[in-house]
Amino acid sequence: MLQYFNPKTDTPISIDKDLGTPPSLSENQVSLSIDGVELSVPEGTSILRAAALIDINIPKLCASDNLEAFGSCRLCAVQVEGQRGLPAACTTPVHDGMQVTTQNYKLAKLRRNIMELYISDHPLDCLTCPANGACELQDMAGAVGLREVRYGFSGENHLDAEKDQSNPYFTFDPSKCIVCSRCVRACEEVQGTFALTVDNRGFGSTIAAGQKEDFLESDCVSCGACVQSCPTATLMENSVIDQGQPEHSVVTTCAYCGVGCSFKAEMKGDQVIRMVPYKGGEANQGHACVKGRFAFGYATHKDRIKTPMIRDAIDQPWRSVSWEEAIAFSAERFKKIQAEHGRESIGGITSSRCTNEETYLVQKLIRAAFGNNNTDTCARVCHSPTGYGLKTTLGESAGTQTFDSVSQADTILVIGANPTDAHPVFGSMIRKRLREGANLIVADPRQIDLLSTAHRSTTLHLPLRPGTNVALINAFAHTVVSEGLEDNAFIASRCDQKAYQKWRSFILEEQNSPDAMAAITGVPAEEIRKAARLYANVKNGAIFYGLGVTEHSQGSTMVMGIANLALATGNLGREGVGVNPLRGQNNVQGSCDMGSFPHELPGYQHVADEQARGRFEQAWGVTLDDEPGLRIPNMFDSAIAGHFKGLYVQGEDIAQSDPNTQHVEAALKAMECVVVQDIFLNETAKFAHVLLPGSTFLEKNGTFINAERRINRVRKVMAPIAGKEDWEVTVDLANALGYSMDYQHPSQIMDEIASLAPTFSGVSYALLEDQGSIQWPCNEQHPMGTPIMHVDDFPIGKGNFAITQYVATEERANRRFPLLLTTGRILSQYNVGAQTRRTDNQTWHAEDVLEVHPHDAEERGIQDGDWLGISSRAGQTVLRAKVSERMQPGVVYTTFHHPGSGANVITTDSSDWATNCPEYKVTAVQVEKVSQPSEWQQNFERLNQQQQSHLLKGRKGRQEKEAG
Amino acid sequence: MTNAQLDHLIRMANQIADNNTHHDTESEAVEMVTTHLKKFWARAMKQQIVEYALNDGQALNPVAKQAIDQLALHYAPASK
Repeated sequence: MLQYFNPKTDTPISIDKDLGTPPSLSENQVSLSIDGVELSVPEGTSILRAAALIDINIPKLCASDNLEAFGSCRLCAVQVEGQRGLPAACTTPVHDGMQVTTQNYKLAKLRRNIMELYISDHPLDCLTCPANGACELQDMAGAVGLREVRYGFSGENHLDAEKDQSNPYFTFDPSKCIVCSRCVRACEEVQGTFALTVDNRGFGSTIAAGQKEDFLESDCVSCGACVQSCPTATLMENSVIDQGQPEHSVVTTCAYCGVGCSFKAEMKGDQVIRMVPYKGGEANQGHACVKGRFAFGYATHKDRIKTPMIRDAIDQPWRSVSWEEAIAFSAERFKKIQAEHGRESIGGITSSRCTNEETYLVQKLIRAAFGNNNTDTCARVCHSPTGYGLKTTLGESAGTQTFDSVSQADTILVIGANPTDAHPVFGSMIRKRLREGANLIVADPRQIDLLSTAHRSTTLHLPLRPGTNVALINAFAHTVVSEGLEDNAFIASRCDQKAYQKWRSFILEEQNSPDAMAAITGVPAEEIRKAARLYANVKNGAIFYGLGVTEHSQGSTMVMGIANLALATGNLGREGVGVNPLRGQNNVQGSCDMGSFPHELPGYQHVADEQARGRFEQAWGVTLDDEPGLRIPNMFDSAIAGHFKGLYVQGEDIAQSDPNTQHVEAALKAMECVVVQDIFLNETAKFAHVLLPGSTFLEKNGTFINAERRINRVRKVMAPIAGKEDWEVTVDLANALGYSMDYQHPSQIMDEIASLAPTFSGVSYALLEDQGSIQWPCNEQHPMGTPIMHVDDFPIGKGNFAITQYVATEERANRRFPLLLTTGRILSQYNVGAQTRRTDNQTWHAEDVLEVHPHDAEERGIQDGDWLGISSRAGQTVLRAKVSERMQPGVVYTTFHHPGSGANVITTDSSDWATNCPEYKVTAVQVEKVSQPSEWQQNFERLNQQQQSHLLKGRKGRQEKEAG
Repeated sequence: MTNAQLDHLIRMANQIADNNTHHDTESEAVEMVTTHLKKFWARAMKQQIVEYALNDGQALNPVAKQAIDQLALHYAPASK
């Protein structure tokens, strides 16, 4: 008898095959026979799926294995021995001893009749239809043997229905719709947006977006789930309409956020036709968002830098040169600076957008070829407090769970994160769990979209004042301890008792009570108590947090406060619980793992650790500095003071993304050699002397590590536009500096990483190829990786409670700056927008606006669309107003996706005490109506035009050279 | 020596001290701050703050000052 225990790993069936209905997770097996074949499957499996598992493929249209069975098309009708009628195989679960017949004369006739009805109201334009060759309706017509349509085509029909082309990425052509409702169900079940519906009844049924709106005007978030689920050409990518069906595909990893979705890059030659979320991807499980799914056009945008360029000074035009010349020019300048100003006068910044292998090489170049530890990465400005806080308390600088673990959480506590905008695919997973009955607590100054998820369980919003996270978490923990909600068994067996007792008496102090903290946080004591009970009283409480936790003067303290809370309630070390930082960039986890920080070698080994350093010295053949190097903000200070003179920046735009822009610009101007390696002339490149063309994730091989520590392969689908993958450029630069690097393929770099970082010792490309992805630690103890961390013990042995004294930020509102500005992100744009601004995602968010509460707006006579001057002690900028009740009075909000907005001109150099992570989330500002852009913006525009013309000259030079 | 860079270092040192005051004894707090500075600050930063602490030190809070005095045992002031 055939047995199907685990269709995920234990079967020869292709992951791409649609088995019709989702798997059943039951452990009970049921035996049945289908067309005389005996088999056993988990209880709850549908007949349709059971048959598909033994490769009996019953015709179907409305069923798909990522959606619950619906039973509307009736095409999958089967005959069951002893049962009346012809039940739908998709909605009928198997039972013991069941005997199923999937094909006989009666069934064949029924299916033909059904198809005949469908086709009588379907345009017969198969040859010119964009779905031609990949149409399930066409396939089913073939499968059932449809030969004629007796009804004719002149009756009432939908053939003249108008197309909806409002969405820039896909077209809705209702004339081809069979109303199977897969799109509606995908929008509900997979994405959780409920933007689509079936209007009217019977023959009049049509699919509609929202309430008689077009797709763009509706609630649709353009995730593409409906397009992917459509069995016909009704919902179709415009790229396929324009270019035809792809002919091959490569599985790779998205380069946007820290969810790290797996995609099939569907190709024609070396052109990407579409990106389709890969069902076998363990992080995203076949889902995607508007960025990863559609916003890949930047890779072939005309702004891409295609040749290396150099110039002697930043007010000069660029000159296109060969790779050799650009590399030699950079190496010479770096060497000269070091000769004149000392070994520590230069440094570099690794990229959290690039691969692990590339990041590893950049920090290696800095430590080995520059001979200092002046390496840092953009994680400095986002999740460095996560590294510090989690290492101190739990012993490892990473989140504890898989994303999938949320499907077993009973209370989901989201702090300072906005998953439906910033981590949309995970946002959908949370929403799914909420619909299944989990409770939701959101601690955030803003009303985020997750709060509007339709579900019946408890939802609590704690709208705290920006900058008071630690006060909130302490009050939370105070409630847990004072009400006896701790998990004493967990504390006794898993935590350091001395640290716990010390913490316990600290947290019980009256200063940490909800009543005392209410005045600071602005959240009523009773609300905090309710929330603490809701988290601590359920079986599984899971915490997810984002930059709203880390980007504060007490970012690290807050991370430790979160870890304390999880330790105290025993919410660690199993499915459904944990402490989960939602990482911003695609490879910010990896860039930290790879030793990008100035104090840590790859694998979080401190530079002062003689044993660890010794192993690197031996492997790399150099003596390494045993003192930490400069962090990004320290580099800027040092540059302005005249000590720090040269910088190698790979794939990072510090001039736009770092706080206090004018300070950053002054630092960059003070340097003698800035080498920028990027895909575009970014803001930093405007201050650079060397511009090295970068390659996108589509143009290289490597790996990314997502927020769940999952190492995913990045696979090259097209040649690098300027001839080199980013790691090859670093290799060239190292060699030019006189430090030999010799790699033929990134897999060799990974082998070196595995030999030096203990948590990676089992990782290899062969294992990744075999497993699809692996979550570190992957070593002798965990040869197949570690989905859930801290199951038996912590890397530091016992869990360590840390004292988290609330210390108010120095950045507070006063008479001059009475409002608090906080910053965030929006779904359609990504970070500094370098990629998404060069795609049709601009349709949704063409400019950054300042959200102002109606109360503050009224006081200042502000109306929607007014130009507002926003000033802080760091600078001034001008944005358009949007009156919004998402924040409380006294708090204003903006995004920073557009460089000209100058959001970071106003953010200050105030930072986290432990890591210098900037306090982006709190800036005291004043807001007033103005009539013209700020001085900085006017200068920005002038500089931008000047630098664009310098670039144009560089490009022209190259064309002339080529022509000559 | 007063410049923006030094001001920033002083502010950072004070901030580290402020966030570590909640320990049983002041010497414990001082030790935490010293360890933090040792572990995370670059050599040049340590040297600068040591030089300031030895020559002036007025703007440092007591815990930060003591921590940097500890640091001075290991790091010579900036050579200038």
